[in-house]
Amino acid sequence: MRTLILAVLFLTARSAAAMEKPELVKLLAEIDDRQRNGGDYKALVYLEQKEKDKADVVREVLVYRRDADDKLMLLFSKPKSEEGKGILRLDKNLWTYDPGTGKWDRTTERERIGGTNTRRSDFDESRLAEEFEPSFGGEEKLGKFETVLLELKVKEGFDVAYPVQKLWVDKANHNILKRQEFALSGKLARTSYYPKWQKLFSQSKNAELWFPGEIRIFDEIEKSNSTLVLFKAVDLNALDQNMFTKAWLESKSR
Amino acid sequence: MLIQIAWRNLLASPINLIIGGLILAGTFLFVVVGGLLDSLNDAMARSVVGSVAGHIQLYSSKSKDELALYGGMGGDQDLSAVTEFPRIKQTLEQLDNVKEVVPMGSSGALITAGNIVDVTLERLRNLYKAREGQLDDPRLRDLSREELDARITATRRHVRQIIRVLEADQKKAQAILQAEAIDPEVVAAVERVSKDAFWHDFEKDTWGSLEFLENKIAPQVTDAQLMFLRYLGTDLDRFQESFDRMQIVDGTKVPKGQRGFLIAKLMYEDQMKLKNARRLDKLKDARANGRLIATDDELKRFVKENRAQTRDLVLQLDDLKTAEATKRLQGYLQSTEGDLTALLSAFFDTTDANLEDRHRFFYEQLAPLVELYRVRIGDTLTIKAFSKGGAIQAVNVRVYGTFAFTGLEKSPLAGGTSLMDLMSFRDLYGYLTADKKEELAQLQRDTGARAVNRENAEDALFGEGNTVVAEATPGIIDEDKTFTGAGRRLREDDLVKRVYTEAEINGGVVLNAAVMLKDASRLSETLATINATASAQQLEIKAVSWQQASGILGQVINFFRGVLILAVLFIFGIAMVIINNAMMMATIQRTQTIGTMRAIGAQRSLILTMVLTESGVLGMIFGGVGILLGSAAMAWLHAKGIPAPNDVAYFFFSGPRLLPELSTTNLVVALVIIFLVTLLSTLFPAVIATRISPLRAMQADE
Repeated sequence: MRTLILAVLFLTARSAAAMEKPELVKLLAEIDDRQRNGGDYKALVYLEQKEKDKADVVREVLVYRRDADDKLMLLFSKPKSEEGKGILRLDKNLWTYDPGTGKWDRTTERERIGGTNTRRSDFDESRLAEEFEPSFGGEEKLGKFETVLLELKVKEGFDVAYPVQKLWVDKANHNILKRQEFALSGKLARTSYYPKWQKLFSQSKNAELWFPGEIRIFDEIEKSNSTLVLFKAVDLNALDQNMFTKAWLESKSR
Repeated sequence: MLIQIAWRNLLASPINLIIGGLILAGTFLFVVVGGLLDSLNDAMARSVVGSVAGHIQLYSSKSKDELALYGGMGGDQDLSAVTEFPRIKQTLEQLDNVKEVVPMGSSGALITAGNIVDVTLERLRNLYKAREGQLDDPRLRDLSREELDARITATRRHVRQIIRVLEADQKKAQAILQAEAIDPEVVAAVERVSKDAFWHDFEKDTWGSLEFLENKIAPQVTDAQLMFLRYLGTDLDRFQESFDRMQIVDGTKVPKGQRGFLIAKLMYEDQMKLKNARRLDKLKDARANGRLIATDDELKRFVKENRAQTRDLVLQLDDLKTAEATKRLQGYLQSTEGDLTALLSAFFDTTDANLEDRHRFFYEQLAPLVELYRVRIGDTLTIKAFSKGGAIQAVNVRVYGTFAFTGLEKSPLAGGTSLMDLMSFRDLYGYLTADKKEELAQLQRDTGARAVNRENAEDALFGEGNTVVAEATPGIIDEDKTFTGAGRRLREDDLVKRVYTEAEINGGVVLNAAVMLKDASRLSETLATINATASAQQLEIKAVSWQQASGILGQVINFFRGVLILAVLFIFGIAMVIINNAMMMATIQRTQTIGTMRAIGAQRSLILTMVLTESGVLGMIFGGVGILLGSAAMAWLHAKGIPAPNDVAYFFFSGPRLLPELSTTNLVVALVIIFLVTLLSTLFPAVIATRISPLRAMQADE
């Protein structure tokens, strides 16, 4: 019996130690690849922000992605007061548009989306392997799920909302279940949970596309604040060729 | 007779002069410092009441924080919205001493205008959109096709000049930096747009060309400035009538009942003016006040910054204006230098000797070539601010002019808040009406998301019974059905021209309100009446005086008054101890005299009265001199005036000079204090004196 326990401990330790950097990078690349679509991507997303002593912020937003060209656009559809507002990523530029003023403004990765605690990266294609250096943080159990803990640090030259992250990745199917994001100072800013992962066959990719059906974000600075992100529908049909332009976004409210 | 005795004894002992000196100093201090504080209090009241607060401020009694017009300890206060303002206004304006109730609400926004390239490209984009009929801008609507073409050509030339400056920068960088520090993508982008071919083919794909410039070139310029803009939303017509120190400096007032924005003049100069011009103005002001560039570190810094920071100016000029500015500077400086940056740096090397002339030359010859202000009168300013719910709201407001409060032109406290119409303020505040709340609630009900608490999130989401992976059904999202057109851009012209009725202006939410009184001296009484009325009529508001509404600022005078009282108490406390001891010594020294007086029939009451009269005369003479000297000092200060030592003091002085007034109350209080101090400090020695018996006096003699 004692030998058996020692053997199990040895194997566990060996498997923990076995996650070397190349394997971790491969794991990140796999996470990215599963969520990347070869063609276009459109999603209808529900956002709900709860803050203490404030009315809930509720939004519906359309997310458009063309992963091959690293393009992203968010277009708010509900409530009426938000309709037509948008966010457009072109190269390294992040633009916001307000049809009420007709103005485009340059913004940053740290900008909150629609008054919620979400950032551009919560809706964009996953670029973990490109943007972060991983290291192995051990293995942990999250509820009934066995997970691998990855510690990530942003690579030089990349502008991201949170430069340090911890990821709890489901050992069974390599989905992210939990994410903690830290400021450069080391202060924990957000804890996010991904309790629903959905997969859809993509013709353009000729493989399955994975996306989180639900994200629950808990604010670690203002502890009483939380955000719910629900992906209500995903459409993989081809988008207009000229869609990711200022002119197209403006036209939606003209 | 007693006064004669007192006068003779007063002159007999030198210690009386010390006692008298203390009384004189205390009285002088009380009259002068007390008078100064009263004058400061009155001046500050004029500043606060006349610039933003009115005599009384109202705010929701449901508010979590107390109203602090000039900011509290923790930044902006959390004030609940006042939703029934028309009823409140109507009820309170019926009260005896209430003249007017002016609705208000204040907030702040960070204005990011983008860098000079962003601004110029936005102008170019709008010109193309106007030519294509895609933009209904009132400033461009009446231009003919030819006029639009001419503006497009001029703006394109300006962009090309900016690119030339960037190209020159890049060459300098390549000469001093290592190759890996230079992004080849940026080099390629600048190279592409600097070629004639790019501009020749520009209009083959206008929007694509513009986006290339916006996304690849504009980020290379990092001169974007953030401006913090504090604004007060109010009924602009009522505000200007009620706060009569407010004067329009540039432009005009906002037409009656219309939307619009008035920028505080000081803020306009400090934050929106071209930095080089502003520094030149400051240098000129400082010189007029006798400061020297040669010896003043701050002025030396202004010169240094002006010489080093010429980029804002250079990037504003197109090729023709660059050539013109270069020619004018070469002529002025007698120089053959061809580089505008070098010429400007030489020009801004101002000294005490050449400042006046260079200031004149700048405004006569260079200023007409550039935009002196980032926002011009008549421009539309986009203000983005966090709404009550935390989301960003934005409005376009037309800038009609700048304003200042008479006498407070240089005060950052009075000149730091701009004015906005109440309708635009409400748009930014983002108050949720019942309809909007229901729309959000319906969206939540339709989605039917379950609530998950932070504490048990992991169990709830990943515990037994949870499955993480699911097959999704492909969805068809038709955004054309999703959009109702509610977000259609409101035509700027419609909003600008629309005239709102008084009922519409008063009808929405406000955060606070100023109450102007007919008779300011009845403030406390009216305050009590308003609070009683609010309670009886369930108006759900709280009324506070201007002083309380000013937060920490309103307590400054009270603090100094407390310090004065402590100082006066300290001085008179010491005086009392010294007077008491001196009188005890004097009584012991005069044992024989007093004994003799008693022996020849003087009653104890006579002795008591004699000693008290002596100290009374001492107090009145020296106290009187103190009051006279204090009054003379106040008269001198009033005639001369105390100049405000810095811009902040303008607010406390309610203008460039404080003219202190002598307060009758202070004189009366000073007399009462002298009387009490002398009486209390002499009482014990006087009682001792009455107990001296004739026998003891004779024994002392033996």
